[in-house]
Amino acid sequence: MRSIRMTSTLVAIPFFSLMTLCSTSYAQSNDATNLYHRGLAATCANCHGTDGKGVVDGGMPLINNLTSEQILSQLKAFKSGAREGTIMPQLAKGYSDEQLQIIANQLGKK
Amino acid sequence: MDRRHFLGQSTAALGLLAGFSGQAKANLQKAEILVIGGGYGGATAAKYLRLFSNNTAKVTLIEPNASFVSCPLSNLVVGGSRSLADITSPYDNLSKRHGVKIIQDSVTGIDPDKKTVKLASGKTLSYDKVIVSPGVSLLMNSIEGLTQANKAGVTLQAWKAGAETVALHKQLAAIRDGGTYAISIPEAPYRCPPGPYERACQVASYFKQNKPKSKVLILDANQDVVSKGALFKKVWAEQYPGMVEYLPKHNVTAVDAKTKTIKFEIQDDIKADVLNLLPAMSAGEIAVKTGLANSNGRWVNVNFINFESTAQKDIHVLGDSIQVAYAMPKSGHMANQHAKVAAAAIVAELSGWEVNPSPVLTNTCYSFVNAKEVVHVASVHQYIAEEKTFKPVPGSGGVSPGPTTLEGVYAWGWAHNIWADTLG
Repeated sequence: MRSIRMTSTLVAIPFFSLMTLCSTSYAQSNDATNLYHRGLAATCANCHGTDGKGVVDGGMPLINNLTSEQILSQLKAFKSGAREGTIMPQLAKGYSDEQLQIIANQLGKK
Repeated sequence: MDRRHFLGQSTAALGLLAGFSGQAKANLQKAEILVIGGGYGGATAAKYLRLFSNNTAKVTLIEPNASFVSCPLSNLVVGGSRSLADITSPYDNLSKRHGVKIIQDSVTGIDPDKKTVKLASGKTLSYDKVIVSPGVSLLMNSIEGLTQANKAGVTLQAWKAGAETVALHKQLAAIRDGGTYAISIPEAPYRCPPGPYERACQVASYFKQNKPKSKVLILDANQDVVSKGALFKKVWAEQYPGMVEYLPKHNVTAVDAKTKTIKFEIQDDIKADVLNLLPAMSAGEIAVKTGLANSNGRWVNVNFINFESTAQKDIHVLGDSIQVAYAMPKSGHMANQHAKVAAAAIVAELSGWEVNPSPVLTNTCYSFVNAKEVVHVASVHQYIAEEKTFKPVPGSGGVSPGPTTLEGVYAWGWAHNIWADTLG
């Protein structure tokens, strides 16, 4: 009996340690990833407002009420040239498709 | 291994893990973060340090002015189509909405060894991290006689928006129809590459309506127009024919305040009625004084992944003061973008996370060619880890095909949004 209990304890403790380690790293990497994504979306804020909340009647086209899907489809259209514009076709071409997806996810109406 | 010994080791290991995580969070919350300078770089950094830390970081902004006056769009005030009030914003939302502590004071010294900052009021503040965003210094001694001419009220720069911007418009309003305005441009790099050419347009726009016999002389030390060259030259030819004269390779060496004469390295002297002489520039005085300007003694080299000075640890430098990467302009928009990368990196570092290995910057710059029509230049800069620098993305960016009133509307939209993003 004693031997069995020891075995199960020995198995359980490293497993618990591993889980704790994983969840700690996971939490950190999750928070860090979230920060990267916020930072990437903040490159748009100069013209479209902090967190995509632009100044109403400020003169700049607003993205305030667009969903992530709507933002992504417009960004892709600017990048491909399907949609014309002044600055956005030039800027959209500077981001990877993955980056545009992250930006759309961050700034879309939740 | 007996059970007690194993448990002891495991508990210690778990404690270490928990301790590490807790310690990192404590580092972020306990750290004293100072921001020197409330321009586009510093004010944005202060706000985004709070946002990116979910309002847990302690952030103090030190700025001598009571309110923010925008350099972008200030040429409209020089031309008289807008007032200083139109380009002025308060600082108080940074404290009210974001919890930034604001100290209205000037920094007289930074001690990187003791990690302290000394204020003009005599107070000394300690820091764990300091962000230095002091803009540029105008090197008045680079033009002989300029300091005296400024003191005599003969020359103005108006390259830091404020009272001088208004004073320059008053000088234009005071001259006779048929008078000459001269602006001189130092060799690049300098603050706001298209700014002098935009100003020439604004002065010409004012003359065209009010003093049509007057002239605008652009005396450029550079080989050619530094930014939006083809667009500006077309505007000068089409909108201001016979009024604007562009003279490249004209390096101003001296000015005589009594006779309002400008002297050059090579060419003959030129006289003008309004002398708007821009001298060479360097990183802001506090950055130079602290020994941070390790690029030719003028600009600050930074590690572009987090904008930390290469000269001093825990001092991060933003905006016009840095030695820029290839094709990176010294602009307010760019300073705002530097600030977000630096703020995210500082929050990550103090939280014990890896700093974002692939930050991105954009630039957008609108220039008014008259009171309503505008042209732009835009770019996207991705961090290239192997080269440790930012580079513009091939195929991205560009300029307007020509001036439009639509871009005039967008330019004001840009202004209202970047002011809100920086200060609101």
